[in-house]
Amino acid sequence: MGFSLRSIVYLLPQVWRVLRAGPLTVQFPFAPPELQEGYRGQVVVDAARCRGCSLCVRDCPAFALELEREGREEYRLIYHPDRCAYCGQCELSCQFGAIRLSNTFTRATADRDTLTRVLVDRRPSPPPLDE
Amino acid sequence: MTKIIVPIGPQHPLLKEPVSFQLTVEGEHVTESAMRLGYVHRGIERLCQERTYVQNIHLLERICGICSHVHTTTFCQGVEALLGVKLPSRALYLRALLCELERIHSHLLWLGVLALNIGFDTIFMYAWHDREVVLDIMEDLSGGRVSHAVNIVGGVRFDLTDDRRVTLLRQLNGLEEQVRILLGVVEHEQTLQARTRNVGRLSLEQIRRYCVVGPVARASGLDVDLRRDMPRPPYDGLTFQVPVRQEGDVWARTLVRMLETVESVHLCRQMLDLLPPGPVSTRVSRRVPAGEVVSRTEAPRGEVVYYIRSDGSDKPARVKVRTPTLTNLITLPSQLENVNMADVSVVLSGVDLCIACADR
Ligand code: SF4
Ligand code: SF4
Repeated sequence: MGFSLRSIVYLLPQVWRVLRAGPLTVQFPFAPPELQEGYRGQVVVDAARCRGCSLCVRDCPAFALELEREGREEYRLIYHPDRCAYCGQCELSCQFGAIRLSNTFTRATADRDTLTRVLVDRRPSPPPLDE
Repeated sequence: MTKIIVPIGPQHPLLKEPVSFQLTVEGEHVTESAMRLGYVHRGIERLCQERTYVQNIHLLERICGICSHVHTTTFCQGVEALLGVKLPSRALYLRALLCELERIHSHLLWLGVLALNIGFDTIFMYAWHDREVVLDIMEDLSGGRVSHAVNIVGGVRFDLTDDRRVTLLRQLNGLEEQVRILLGVVEHEQTLQARTRNVGRLSLEQIRRYCVVGPVARASGLDVDLRRDMPRPPYDGLTFQVPVRQEGDVWARTLVRMLETVESVHLCRQMLDLLPPGPVSTRVSRRVPAGEVVSRTEAPRGEVVYYIRSDGSDKPARVKVRTPTLTNLITLPSQLENVNMADVSVVLSGVDLCIACADR
């Protein structure tokens, strides 16, 4: 009895702290998650800046980026979020500041093919984008 | 007496990662034990030879889900030595800052796991609650909770503003208060002591024979710590203690780890105070001159060693990783000898196994 009482007394300030802090649970996905500004989430591209140099494709460790080249200026930059490791290497490798990681989650899906997105489409007559 | 063989693992509530033990039990006591590894072998060392140095940083970061940063640090350190580049001191400080934050995170996580395995759920909750503070700090600094992706060959890719530095110092003060409470629990709480004292004891002689590293070695009286014994910047300019205990049991390991956590908070604070100005990275060539290098760092679980051989291309010819868990695992059969069945969970927790590290 003696020692267990001591243990309880020792931890009492902790109980008080936890009670004072209130609930920590986040209501995700019913409420938007609070992500830090620099959180590495979904990959986005400023298509106007992209030159199709494929430096991001070369350095991507997860082979999540793909460049389909049809001519000197005609290409498509395709992104596969199902492979992406959210490492941010593409952002670092791009010399034109075109690609970066935003602090948003990739949506969930049961069919991984639907995740694939065409980030840049520079084909002669681009058909409507996937999204 | 009849012998019973009790299998633990590869899937078992006691284990957080797949590893398998076969314990031969007579009555309540374990008489023999066998171990099997390799369930999370991913062939990372071989994959490294197929990828460039830049890609390998992210691959090696995924060896471990706890001490990911220390793996990339050791790798980058080695590649930088091959390239012969000198890093800006700010980069070295920021790298080490994350290493220390990671140590705090790893030790708090481990304390929670030990507490959970001995049925002391309160401490599990508190330790993991406090660990959240470190994870938030690391996420804020690097953009990821576990895979930080901050190391590049030639430096780091994040910087600290002065405002952020001040907030960080405040957060660290709060964290130290919490860690000291947990340290007090380890020192004084009698239920925890009843479960961990005199369990899984390793003598100094055994430690030397098995080449054990890290907190397990330091809890048995072997005074080793790479940060002090082979100091590289910034550790050569910082003051810190290396906690050593003589008891060699699980309790001593717990105490050593918690004392180390407090030291790490101090180290973080010193680094933030002394953070030199300047750039955080230098440009380096993608091709690495031919040669070989051994790079060592003190990870949360002990010394991690990388051997890197380059053939002059942009891909390594060989990368070999020796993680601390592998050497510490070998002590388990002798620790498990003659323990009570109920203490198996304590012994297994006490070593702080990271099977993903050991299997790679
Ligand atoms: S974040 Fe990493 S894995 Fe994802 S696309 Fe960019 S480089 Fe590839
Ligand atoms: S996003 Fe950047 S690196 Fe990738 S192809 Fe476009 S310009 Fe090159």
